[in-house]
Amino acid sequence: MAAAAVLLLVTLTALGPLLSWLPEPIGPNASQFSEGARTTLWLTLWSGTIGVVLGVVAALGRTSRHWVLRQIASFYIWVIRGTPLLVQVLFVYFAVPVLIPGADLPDFASAVIALSLNVGAYNAEAVRAGLLAIPRGQTEAARALGLGRRHVFMDVVFPQAFKISLPALVSNFVALMKDSSLAYAIGVVELTNVGNRIQAQTFQPIPTLATTACIYLLLTTLMTQFSNAIEHKVDVEGRQK
Amino acid sequence: MSAVAAAPKNETLIDLQGVNKSFGTHQVLRDVSTAFRAREVTVIVGASGSGKSTMLRAINRLEPHDSGRIVVDGIEVNDDATSLQKLRSEVGMVFQQFNLFSHLTVLDNVTLAPRRVRQTAKAQAQQDAMELLKRVGLQDHAHKHPYQLSGGQQQRVAIARALAMAPKVMLFDEPTSALDPEMVKEVLDVMRALADGGMTMLVVTHEMGFAKDVGDRILFFDQGRIACDQTPDDFFNRQDSERVRAFLGLVGSH
Repeated sequence: MAAAAVLLLVTLTALGPLLSWLPEPIGPNASQFSEGARTTLWLTLWSGTIGVVLGVVAALGRTSRHWVLRQIASFYIWVIRGTPLLVQVLFVYFAVPVLIPGADLPDFASAVIALSLNVGAYNAEAVRAGLLAIPRGQTEAARALGLGRRHVFMDVVFPQAFKISLPALVSNFVALMKDSSLAYAIGVVELTNVGNRIQAQTFQPIPTLATTACIYLLLTTLMTQFSNAIEHKVDVEGRQK
Repeated sequence: MSAVAAAPKNETLIDLQGVNKSFGTHQVLRDVSTAFRAREVTVIVGASGSGKSTMLRAINRLEPHDSGRIVVDGIEVNDDATSLQKLRSEVGMVFQQFNLFSHLTVLDNVTLAPRRVRQTAKAQAQQDAMELLKRVGLQDHAHKHPYQLSGGQQQRVAIARALAMAPKVMLFDEPTSALDPEMVKEVLDVMRALADGGMTMLVVTHEMGFAKDVGDRILFFDQGRIACDQTPDDFFNRQDSERVRAFLGLVGSH
């Protein structure tokens, strides 16, 4: 896992210098590309992390004993999954400051909020599937030992449910990295934005957009590798060994 | 085995009065009244669906009863969180499907409840757990995960896990029914040793040999009622109930 993380870091730092070796129109714009890639990665990491927390909270709401909590969680998931991400990104950036005066957020923060809310709804379903997959015997054994509600969840149910949810969470995370390109719409200078700007300046769409796509491919591949390493680490039942 | 079962012999530990329980329209417990005394091994038999497991599960409130009273060592069995936790730490339970926590090592399975419920320090809990694992013959497997163990070994870990809370009574819900035949004996041997050590036990089982040898008392459940409450000798050798004789014929004890 550490090796995969190091590989990701090395790739990011080496990306600029590597690209600068390339001929026109990539080489002279290498630093912009690597800056954009870094912004894309930060968008993904922030939204991905917040999205996991949101997903767990919403999954808990969905499986709650309380009717109100179930309704709130279902409403959130219904709205987010039923509307386009682009609309959500625009809404957070343009409409929320009108609805809540003073909630003027910079473009990056707005994008993080919209992306987190979006991936959170999808994560909620992944985590819920994990929670439902835990056999009843596990919670009964924990309760029979005298463990309280909180410990039954934290020590017994959640660790196992999270592990089951992990492959789905990873695929949501990789999808999020690609979806973060929609932050372009509110002016965040992320990878797609950079690629399109340079394309427009140089009138050379093929090398610029191909480079953009390749960088995404590199990032998602590394990300998948990193997640595989995590999955392997938590695979205590040895199902994959 | 001496640390457990501090209660004097014959003192009533569990008291059931007029307990009823239904699942939908199906009534699984009908007006069940009985008492279980300290250091007594009660073997509960009967056809499947006769209510024997439900009674065990009602005693530690995994299955809330509809009416009647259950009192365990002075604790009223109800939904009050504080008394429920006290009740459950005094009542150990072993399940048919073992229900070990699959993401935890054997040692962590055994230490989890003492650490969380009794706030025992980790080192102390591990020391106690190793002692228990030695008793069930699994001290060499402490750092394995459940999937690396056989069914019989898993069930012995489950017994050690329940004992780690130093319960006053142990409930066994068909502890050998999910085991391959060659593993039944190792689990029954552990239970036998536990009984010899004076543990109060309620055992739902189809192992008639165990019932005969280890049981102090046999309860026969039929359609949600206690149809017989006898000593093993009377139950097996002087049985006048046609219903019980038919049951014994089916489980093949004679």
